[in-house]
Amino acid sequence: MNTIIKAENLSFGYTRQDTILKDISFEVNQGKFLAIAGPNGAGKTTLLNLLCGLLRPKSGSIRIDAKPVESYSVKKLAQKVAVVRQEFVPVFDFTVAEMVSMARTPYLGTFGFESNTDKQIVNEALEATETAQFALRSLGSLSGGERQRVFIARALAANSPVLLLDEPTSFLDLKHQVGIYDLLKSAQLEKGKTIVAVTHDINLSAQYCDEILLLGADGNYHIGETKDVLSREEIEKVFGVRTFVGRLGQEKFFIPLGKFAKMSGQIASKPHNIQHE
Amino acid sequence: MAEFLTAKELAIKVSICLVVLAVVMSLCALFPRSVGRQKISWTKAFSGPGQKPGENIDYEILVRVRLPRVILAALVGAALACSGVVLQAILRNPLADPYILGISSGAGLGVIIAILSGISWSFRGGSPIGIFAFAGALITVWLVWYIGHFTGKSQVTSLLLAGVVVNAFFSAVIMFLTSIAKSEQVYSTIFWLMGNITEKDLSILWVSAGCILAGIIVLFTVCHSLNVLALGQEEAIGLGVDVARTRIVAFACAAFVTAIAVSLSGLIGFVGLIIPHGVRLTFGPDHRQLLPLSAIIGASFLVIADTIARIIVAPAQLPVGVVTAIAGGPFFLILLAKYSRKVSWLK
Repeated sequence: MNTIIKAENLSFGYTRQDTILKDISFEVNQGKFLAIAGPNGAGKTTLLNLLCGLLRPKSGSIRIDAKPVESYSVKKLAQKVAVVRQEFVPVFDFTVAEMVSMARTPYLGTFGFESNTDKQIVNEALEATETAQFALRSLGSLSGGERQRVFIARALAANSPVLLLDEPTSFLDLKHQVGIYDLLKSAQLEKGKTIVAVTHDINLSAQYCDEILLLGADGNYHIGETKDVLSREEIEKVFGVRTFVGRLGQEKFFIPLGKFAKMSGQIASKPHNIQHE
Repeated sequence: MAEFLTAKELAIKVSICLVVLAVVMSLCALFPRSVGRQKISWTKAFSGPGQKPGENIDYEILVRVRLPRVILAALVGAALACSGVVLQAILRNPLADPYILGISSGAGLGVIIAILSGISWSFRGGSPIGIFAFAGALITVWLVWYIGHFTGKSQVTSLLLAGVVVNAFFSAVIMFLTSIAKSEQVYSTIFWLMGNITEKDLSILWVSAGCILAGIIVLFTVCHSLNVLALGQEEAIGLGVDVARTRIVAFACAAFVTAIAVSLSGLIGFVGLIIPHGVRLTFGPDHRQLLPLSAIIGASFLVIADTIARIIVAPAQLPVGVVTAIAGGPFFLILLAKYSRKVSWLK
């Protein structure tokens, strides 16, 4: 299996004194789906920005496809790594098709007109994400879930082996959350994309992701297969929240129990086995 | 199937708009027949220059007075509209305009410093006036961008505020300089500042036309990058756009064409605001299309505005800046109300 992302001894801080990320090393193999989870301020988005070359590490290195990130030109890196950032509405009312075809930017010539290949790729991405039906509508007129699909369509249209996503489901209802993860999973399985998604949803990542990188606010981190990394103790350590743990096949699921939660007094220490009905 | 802008489709649209511009320019050059003291006869005017130069007055008026004026208005209109398009994209602010952001007054200050300090030399159409105007415009663009960048994350109003402050400051310096200037210079300077299109020598016009056209062509090469950059810097980098290069090219060219427009005709407001908006509403926000069409439609708009300025109080003349500001002021307020509301949920 080829390693496509390799981070070695990565450290980063926004000012000279502080360090958000300390000495982090991990690898992602081609075609894997990695979740990055952790409390607010642990540096998840920062890590994502390091991976896509927007920030430069203080020390350590990141290699994409065996070459250091900083050795890529902006254009070449955009052909390797596509990014879906947290939801936003652009200032100008671009249509869905216009937005998705921006993914072809690193492939265009001087005057920036799309070739037939570009158009075909954009149309395929629109089809795959079921956004073709509103290709000519403006982005501002769509709902949050629809808009997020458009940004994923754009990432797919970049034809890059790696997809980075920053909290792709944070503003969405349950149905759309699952829809987005289904979409990403199919991109992984059918197109062989390597996906790295920052997420707050441990349960969804347990169901959909192969590996998880749990990033603590204290700088400790833990990476591995979801079923190994995610445990009641680990979550309590990283997030400071007690959870009820259940089991669904190989994977565990977690229900957070705060001070006033209804069942907070009766947490079982052993995982419960939930049968599929 | 999604629709895409193709080069062919764009060429057709541009050609149609060019034909409209040509019609507008010829109509405005020919009509109205009787502005000013001299009534011109078209049959006479079209019969050629005559045996001796100056013999056929009607022809002379058409070629030496009317035509240069229409061409000048078209050039300035195109330059200001393009500048508006580019500034709106780079600053990610739909209310940007070279006049509102004080870039025109920066260029104007450069011009006044050049005139009053009496530096005079010229080299193939380049003169200290042009260079000072360019320097003034460039410094102002940078200043406004820097202040806007520094005060907040692309807030519509903070950038406008920066523009207003810079504009007020430069205007004050301009006023100060004109008030200490010799009296005979003052009248023409003030009239020029109000945005005044007067007859200019054709040779100056051709040089300016070449410069503005070159500026627009260079800008056209970054139009697709501007589309992406309008989404913000992070997005643009993620999509493979060289942000620094795009920004430098766009700022420099926008400042360049604004400086030429200002040194030709003084401060004319709101063209760079109204035209890009009108074009964007009609044809969509794709800059590959927005830029050339705004240039042509901006040219037509200013030709018409100048014709109105020329005839409305004839035989006296109104500075064209008065006409564009009267049309543009209310328009600006409507846009401000619209976008301020939009921005509150944009966060």
